Amino acid sequence: MNTKQLLASAVLSITLAASAQAQSLTVYSAGPESLINHLAQDFTAQSGIAVNVFQGTTGQVMARLEAEQANPIADILISASWDSAIALKARGDLLEHVSPNAVQVPEYLKDTHYVAQGVSALAMVWNKNSQVDMPKDWSDLAQPAYNNEVTMPDPAQSGAAFQLLTGLLASQGEDATWSLMQQLKDNNMIVPGPNARALNPVLQGAKSVVFGAVDYISLGQQADGEAIEVVFPESGTVIAPRPMMIFKSTKSPDQAKAFIDFVLSDAGQERVAQSYLMPARTDIPALRPTLTELNLIQYDEAQYETRREDILQSFRAIFGQSN
Amino acid sequence: MRLSAYTMQGVMLATAGILLLLVGLPLIYIVLQAIFPDLSRGSWAQPFSVFMPTLKDPELAHLLGNTLKLGLAVVLGSALLAIPLGALRALAKVPGAAIWDVVFLVPFLIPPYIAALAWMMSLQNRGYLQQLLGFNADAFLFSFWGIAFVMVLNVFPVVYFAISRTLMAVGGRYASVGRVCGAGPWRSFFRISLPLSIPGMAASLLLVFVLTIEEFGTPATLGAQSGYFVLVTGIHERFSDWPLDIPGASVLSLLLVILAMAAFYFQHWLVTRRSYISVTGKPSAIEQIELGRLKWPVFMLFMLVAFISVAVPILAVLATALSSTLSGGLSWSNLSLRHFEALFDNRAGALQALSTSLGLATGAALLTGILGALIGYLVVRAQVKGHKLLDFLSLLPNAMPGIVIAVGLILAWNQTHWPIQVYNTSAMLLLAYTCLLLPYPVRYASASFRQMSENLEAAARVCGAGFIQMFIRVLLPALSPALIVAMLLVFAIASRELVASLMVAPAGLTTVSTFVFGQFEQGSPGLGMAMSVVAIFSTTFLLLVLTLLGRRRLSGEY
Repeated sequence: MNTKQLLASAVLSITLAASAQAQSLTVYSAGPESLINHLAQDFTAQSGIAVNVFQGTTGQVMARLEAEQANPIADILISASWDSAIALKARGDLLEHVSPNAVQVPEYLKDTHYVAQGVSALAMVWNKNSQVDMPKDWSDLAQPAYNNEVTMPDPAQSGAAFQLLTGLLASQGEDATWSLMQQLKDNNMIVPGPNARALNPVLQGAKSVVFGAVDYISLGQQADGEAIEVVFPESGTVIAPRPMMIFKSTKSPDQAKAFIDFVLSDAGQERVAQSYLMPARTDIPALRPTLTELNLIQYDEAQYETRREDILQSFRAIFGQSN
Repeated sequence: MRLSAYTMQGVMLATAGILLLLVGLPLIYIVLQAIFPDLSRGSWAQPFSVFMPTLKDPELAHLLGNTLKLGLAVVLGSALLAIPLGALRALAKVPGAAIWDVVFLVPFLIPPYIAALAWMMSLQNRGYLQQLLGFNADAFLFSFWGIAFVMVLNVFPVVYFAISRTLMAVGGRYASVGRVCGAGPWRSFFRISLPLSIPGMAASLLLVFVLTIEEFGTPATLGAQSGYFVLVTGIHERFSDWPLDIPGASVLSLLLVILAMAAFYFQHWLVTRRSYISVTGKPSAIEQIELGRLKWPVFMLFMLVAFISVAVPILAVLATALSSTLSGGLSWSNLSLRHFEALFDNRAGALQALSTSLGLATGAALLTGILGALIGYLVVRAQVKGHKLLDFLSLLPNAMPGIVIAVGLILAWNQTHWPIQVYNTSAMLLLAYTCLLLPYPVRYASASFRQMSENLEAAARVCGAGFIQMFIRVLLPALSPALIVAMLLVFAIASRELVASLMVAPAGLTTVSTFVFGQFEQGSPGLGMAMSVVAIFSTTFLLLVLTLLGRRRLSGEY
């Protein structure tokens, strides 16, 4: 057997192994990783359908989808950004599916083509061992006491952080929001990347507060023993529902629908609750403050999606690359 | 003989085909994508429409400037750190000389992004340094010089080994001629050894430059916080943050390739220009200077460098992995094995990630080993057409950063017109690693063939062996010592490769590096660091065992 044959057989065996899984489902999911892994395992145990998961930030997941446009791989997308579902539906990429299990999901968390898996809210995360007091509202973080102590996730990389920005633009006004951002910049707030990049420095204490952290990661870490507190600001915050959707390009529509139904089942929604998200179904108890207990900013989100590039541009102009 | 020539031409064509598929294809697709912006949607419209906007973008000049600045700073830092150390190691009797050679190999085994995270944990505000000694280096770490500092500590061994080996070779033979002619030790060093070792020194510094401009982990980890962005992070951002800019990423990739290629060929030119200096020869017995009173200060210098470059990152990784919570800090009550328990409990598929990485790294080592031996032979020995092309293609990945190879592979294989589906399978990772690391075995193998007598082959053919039999039974065994070293190197690098893995790993597949990176992005640094500990120690252990076994077996045979 010469080397050519060796190589050919090596490549062949790998591709054969891959095509053997062709009947499985491929799910692209924006965090939390343990949740999607559990959901995939439970679903496989129940239905016998294997599930391949690609897990990343919303930015990474959307990027991969776009790179694969000519040759789509994913059957299902679970995004952390509601806007992405609206945009994909408008483009005609989604398959219609109204799950029978979605009856208990509130109207504003579902559509004919997508439905929420769970809901997170945006909060401030404060390190209890830090030298600064626990902040009460967003604007506190522009105070001199918090100089050099604040981080914020990048709205360009975190769908939730973008949502917070639009919520503030709506509730506090455009000028007030950008001037708050400028004050935060002057107060040396850093914008190191997606959610966990902003959170990690606060865990060790390099910084003391996150401005606009996705709450479930921190609630989980708090339960895990980290000395942090999740603070929901007095003036209100925004929620980030996490839409699930099926692509029209899927080769296994029935299995994909079964997966969505499973996530909305009692067992699936209990898994969602265990990762400190609010379950999409109101009849499943949560391990954390829910929609009724939070002071939410009510506004028309859709008008901000068309301004996405402008808003990110303005944000970059303030926090843009120095040196 | 004539038959053998036909076989050889056949083997040659097959190898060239594999190389074109492996190395040529990704590069061709990047060029095409840069020219035709809508290629990823299957359209050939509007050629060259993205070139000028991307090249005129003021951000590009910024990224390019940052990349060059960082490359030069790391070259300078490595030179300042490694040249004195290497020279001392070669020319003087340094206490514990052999041990330092082993210790300075360790930075190769700590993946750069893990080292960067470890330095972050150590130096940032309220990090380990402050917890232990009451002060921090936050402002330094998250600055241009901080990034350069961490990168120097990752790459300086390249220069250290090059300098000490070169000086030992030149210093031994030529310097003793100088001594015989009446020059003192210092005079013969400055007039003979140093000038003669300049090409080798420059070559290793250029290699450092290429490694620096290609590196992703350190600038991605430290740069985001200090606002320092380079070409590699720019490409990654364009390719992995929504909305995507694939054509822009391709143009930047081309730019990076050109930059690396220029540095690489300058290095190649330097090394081959003075072929009469035998730096590849065996280090002959060299009369090393007695350090006398300087003995212990020199020893302390080596200790200090080893402590900073090896001990600090490893201790920080261990501290994080063994801390129950990060906010708990360094205290006995916070000591816990729970991250390791979670790891061996297979949380988040840790064990699969480990076995995937080991499997892929073994596969890449075998593939590159076989290809490297074949290419080395064909380039050095075969009197067939096209061996220059083979040489060029096989060394081309040296000038292709991992991120560029990944982008090229995605563009090339994520198409519907291929008869077999390669995209979204683990074969993509194997292709990426093999392409990226092929130059190591090729270089080792061709150097080895150059030293081998042709009589071996002639004897085999006289005895009636065909090409393949001769290659496997005669040449391969003679080649194996060099080849095994190269394959071990491939194994070590492939088992921890980050940037290509992040980009081409199929859905449902995690490698060690994407696992660690993912745990940090998920907010579980403890679990990520526990995995790093297991990965660093298991590859070090495996390499140690393999090297010892290999050495024993080989020394028995030859």
